Amino acid sequence: MEAAAARPLAELAGKYLTFALGDEEYGLPVLKVREIIKLMDITQVPQVPSHIRGVINLRGKVIPVIDLRLKFGFEVGENTERTCIIVVEVDMNGSNVMMGIVVDSVWEVLNVSAAEIDETPAFGDQVSTDFVLGLAKVKGTVKILLDLDRVLGGDGRFSKGLL
Amino acid sequence: MASSEKKSRRRSAKAPAEPPPFDPQPVEPPSIAVAELSAGAAADEMPSIPVPDPEDELAAFASDGELSALFVSDGLEHLGTIEAAILKFEAAPADLSLLNDIFRPFHTVKGNAGVLGISSVQEVAHRVEALLDLARSGARPFGPREIELVLQSVDLLTLMIKQLPARVAGEPTVNVADRVRALGLALDTLMAEPLQAVAAAMAAQAYEQASARQEPAPEAADPFQRTEESQSTVRVDTRKLDSLVDMVGELVIAQTILAEDPVLLRSIDERLSRRLSQVRRITSELQRSAMSMRMVAIRQTFQKMARLVRDQSKRTGKPIALVLAGEDTELDRKLVEHITDPLMHMVRNAVDHGVEPAAVRLAAGKPTEATLRLSASHQAGTIVIEIGDDGGGLDTDAILAKAQAQGLAADDAVLSPAEIHQFIFQPGFSTAQQVTELSGRGVGMDVVRRNIEALRGRIDIQTTPGQGTTFSIRLPLTLAIVDGILLSVGTERFVIPTFAVRESLQPRSDQVHTVQGRGCMVQVRDQLIPVLHVGEAFGIRGARERPTDGTVVVAEDNGRPVALVVDELLGKQEVVIKGLGETFEGVRGVAGGAILGDGRIGLILDVGGLLSLAA
Repeated sequence: MEAAAARPLAELAGKYLTFALGDEEYGLPVLKVREIIKLMDITQVPQVPSHIRGVINLRGKVIPVIDLRLKFGFEVGENTERTCIIVVEVDMNGSNVMMGIVVDSVWEVLNVSAAEIDETPAFGDQVSTDFVLGLAKVKGTVKILLDLDRVLGGDGRFSKGLL
Repeated sequence: MASSEKKSRRRSAKAPAEPPPFDPQPVEPPSIAVAELSAGAAADEMPSIPVPDPEDELAAFASDGELSALFVSDGLEHLGTIEAAILKFEAAPADLSLLNDIFRPFHTVKGNAGVLGISSVQEVAHRVEALLDLARSGARPFGPREIELVLQSVDLLTLMIKQLPARVAGEPTVNVADRVRALGLALDTLMAEPLQAVAAAMAAQAYEQASARQEPAPEAADPFQRTEESQSTVRVDTRKLDSLVDMVGELVIAQTILAEDPVLLRSIDERLSRRLSQVRRITSELQRSAMSMRMVAIRQTFQKMARLVRDQSKRTGKPIALVLAGEDTELDRKLVEHITDPLMHMVRNAVDHGVEPAAVRLAAGKPTEATLRLSASHQAGTIVIEIGDDGGGLDTDAILAKAQAQGLAADDAVLSPAEIHQFIFQPGFSTAQQVTELSGRGVGMDVVRRNIEALRGRIDIQTTPGQGTTFSIRLPLTLAIVDGILLSVGTERFVIPTFAVRESLQPRSDQVHTVQGRGCMVQVRDQLIPVLHVGEAFGIRGARERPTDGTVVVAEDNGRPVALVVDELLGKQEVVIKGLGETFEGVRGVAGGAILGDGRIGLILDVGGLLSLAA
């Protein structure tokens, strides 16, 4: 069983940008990150789930902004100095789409080795782990590595299904 | 043999892994190809167009991405020109100068293919060129069979060129070997025809031409004249263009922020404000020309339809004249890409279902030749494309019966004809009695409507029994600058296109009426207009609740008015419409986003969508 899981986990080794949502720490592959910007006014768009906060103007481009705190069901407290938007590139049906994700704070870029990554344990029906690549234990804390295409891919075209 | 040895030496020289530098000289001089061809044809009975060798002709093509991309786009454009010229020649066979217009682009395609060493394309083009050359010099007639063959070769070359990138990438492609062989044989057969038959055919054609010459087509009505002028253009990658437009948009915003800076506003230095307004003028002019670069005329799309109508007309045996209007109407390049397929589907439908067979037309006292009208125009900030036939019109009873049979309508439903016609947009709905080769494969008008609605457009039907049907497609000028009115609702700001606004007012309480305590109406002069509270509909906090507290904007869509309750009007502004992207594709009532003066985004209201929310 160890052997079967070893290969995909080895592929996960690499650089991750880590950030905080509530008390938890998350990581996403650094190659997906385009830039980090401070929280700005977001124009809300009607008829979409609340975790889709709306749109912002990124130097002439209109990009959607997803609040990962709402998406994952965290309490959203006051926005602080450290609240920011990570602009990422998501693969959506073969085309790259820019999106912003709101997080509580950004930590650092971390080099995660294969040995530090564990498979995602099953939590039963309570917790959906579909978009977790694996868990990284670094410097005594656990970081949840996200499969961004899965996390945000659904937000790319959810509205088509609704209407 | 010598030539093939030379060829293989070249191949082995190119074998090393590093991409060879691009060689501007033709890889295979055309003369060698000719020699090879004739020698091969004489030696045995093999078809004279060699079947493409999948591997070695792509070396040069694969080594220079930019050049090969240019070859593909250029080649497809030339083939489009050829197609248009052939159709024109078919309509006016007397005009032999048109053969030059067909010959020249073929020659260019052949030459370009030769430079890149794509011998399969080069040789197909070469064979057809030979036929054209004979016709051009008057040594051969150029009749319906030749036209058919050249059209086939255009289709074949289009396919071959289109799938070059896929072949380089190693993706699966359509094997064209059989079609190349078939075309070669057909050309051989045609060329080998005894001269006597050729002479007879030429005499017949000469007679035809002489009689046709009596009524020359007026030059002004020439729909394909502009192909000659297109020399002074530059090809630009669309991504560069998009980024230019984005940057110019940013420049406009930066300029606005600067102009509204309090320090500058307080300044009474006349020289400074004069210079600032000069910058403003230049910026807006720059924006206008940047936007116009993304616009293309609908001409090319219409040309595709001309070919389609011709083929369909031949296949169904229904004589059809296609009348084009407004081919110069410009629309956004992206719209053109997305509108072509729905248009083709509708044209096919019109020929297959709309136009009656000639016998039926005769019996009804109509000319046997049906007329299909395709027109494009700008109307009040939208683009209107109309496809009209003079056929039998929609069969309202048959549609209703079918809708009832499919359970789409209740058996005792009382519906207006217009409501019944809407059923043709239902998935899987087809009144065609039988599936034909041309249409009726189950992909129907529902797909057309979905495609058009995805572009935030709309499709309407006008039909008169016995006189024909016209479909009107209305498309917004996406990505174009739109004159808008900026308004606020709670914390949010919106832009409503000026063309959709009839008036705005602050209603007195005696103008506002409620129906059963809920549905709210505003009386404007004699008309009662349904009210839509934008803040409520969009779930915005802090919006003024009663129409009498805020401002009412009377907007209309397609003649249907709606009174929008907003907080305040903030002013007029020209804005650039930007799509919100796939994420928000299904959102109703919003046509896109506009970047406002402070760099924030304001949503652009879509009145048609708002009306559907109000209903």
